[in-house]
Amino acid sequence: MNGSVVRTLILKDWQLHRRLILISLAAGGVALGVIQLKSETAFLVGAIWYFVSLFVLGSMLPVSNVINERKKQTAVFLMSLPVSATQYALAKMVSTVGMFLIPWAAMAVAGSTLVLSRHDIPNGIIPLTIILFGFPLVGFCMIAGTALIGESEGWTVAASIACNSSYGLLQYFLIRDPAINRDLNSPVPVWSARVLTVLAGEAAAAGLILAITFYLQSRKREFV
Amino acid sequence: MSDFAIELRGVGKKYPWFTLDNIHLELPHGQIMGLIGPNGAGKSTTIRILLGLVQQDHGEVRVLGRRMPEEQVAAKWDIGFASEDMRLYEGMTLEWHMNFIRSIYPGWDATYAQLLLKRFGLRAEQKIKGLSHGQRVKATLLLVLARRPRLLVLDEPTTGLDPVARHEILRELTAVMNDDGRSVLFSSHNTQDVEQISDQIAFIDRGRIIDCMDKEAYLDRWRRLRLEVPAGTTLPDLPGIIQFRQNGRLAVATANAFAPGMANAYESQGARVQSIDTMTLEEIFIANVEHSREEVGA
Repeated sequence: MNGSVVRTLILKDWQLHRRLILISLAAGGVALGVIQLKSETAFLVGAIWYFVSLFVLGSMLPVSNVINERKKQTAVFLMSLPVSATQYALAKMVSTVGMFLIPWAAMAVAGSTLVLSRHDIPNGIIPLTIILFGFPLVGFCMIAGTALIGESEGWTVAASIACNSSYGLLQYFLIRDPAINRDLNSPVPVWSARVLTVLAGEAAAAGLILAITFYLQSRKREFV
Repeated sequence: MSDFAIELRGVGKKYPWFTLDNIHLELPHGQIMGLIGPNGAGKSTTIRILLGLVQQDHGEVRVLGRRMPEEQVAAKWDIGFASEDMRLYEGMTLEWHMNFIRSIYPGWDATYAQLLLKRFGLRAEQKIKGLSHGQRVKATLLLVLARRPRLLVLDEPTTGLDPVARHEILRELTAVMNDDGRSVLFSSHNTQDVEQISDQIAFIDRGRIIDCMDKEAYLDRWRRLRLEVPAGTTLPDLPGIIQFRQNGRLAVATANAFAPGMANAYESQGARVQSIDTMTLEEIFIANVEHSREEVGA
């Protein structure tokens, strides 16, 4: 494996997108500050803002890191380097997913810690919070996969719209699910079978989407 | 080791709208080959196949002795590729790009890169988006040349450049060839560029190589005979004459395999040979493409 070139390509993507990552982290930080204002409205606005900053990052990263490289024809420059199409796809996947995972993980940990530290919010909400953090992750994998396989801005935007518009609906059904709803006011987190099933489903969906993306990408015969 | 930097044998690629048909091409080490063809002839597809960016449906491709696309990674360490549609990162400086390439290629020649910066009138700290088209081409070429590749593949490198920038780039390519080990394949529809620096010429049209040979021998083969033909005279179809156009008493015969005996043959039938002219590569290119299309259409 041509490890050093793949690593250089990943580092290059990080360097080019560090501003976007910092902006999303800053947006999340401000949202956390709003949540701390201790009014119900501020909590609601801050929480929505917090998730929206992840949704926006999840939609922008694939376009910026994958589609723009095609659209602005820098992919030809990269493919003139000693890498194969599969290695390029691997570098693209690792960099795109990695660039999302770091702010996602930081914000998931910060959000959960906030819930744990606030005595006015029951800790029973923690499993739902973690499930909700899974949505932007699965959605991001779907958008990134579409960008990598489809190489089309139109399809990527369509995937982005489909994912972003389904978050609210999924959230609605989750909160109305009695198996999850009944434990929300519990003083301790309850990891019920339903919660664990949903979490496992999210992890499996994210993993499956990435595996299919890599498989299809490695079978491509045309690169540019 | 193979005698050729590039070998394409029976290479084909079918698209719904275009077919690259049975391409045979050989570039010996240390030579410059100009691949000439009109827009949409298949130049870029051929180049992308030989770089492993597009996989051929059939045929064998070897570049620097490596099978493509299977061994493209190993081959690309020694290939410098630049194309007209290749872009650099607009928001980053040329220096950033130089550092990026240097981090990949251990053979990056920093002294030569500085020399090229000076020769091309570029500033390393300038962002790519602030460069003119000509400067961008030069920047791309700098990034390619300072790697000291054994094979340079350039797809339409001079398209859209002003005459001065074109001259600077062609001069640099000629200088690169002072190192005998280097080979260059460059595509263009500008025959002047090809005529200026190539050792070998390949014509491609509608996905087929219609001619490929040494430039000097090639230019030497082509002639245009201007004839005065008395009324009622019928001239014979001579082998090697690919085009014969007559307007009243004046006729022009285009030969792709000229022999001095042709003039005698026409004169023996009553025609008077006014002149026998050498042809520019552009004239040959047009005549060759027209002849090839007539043959295919016939």
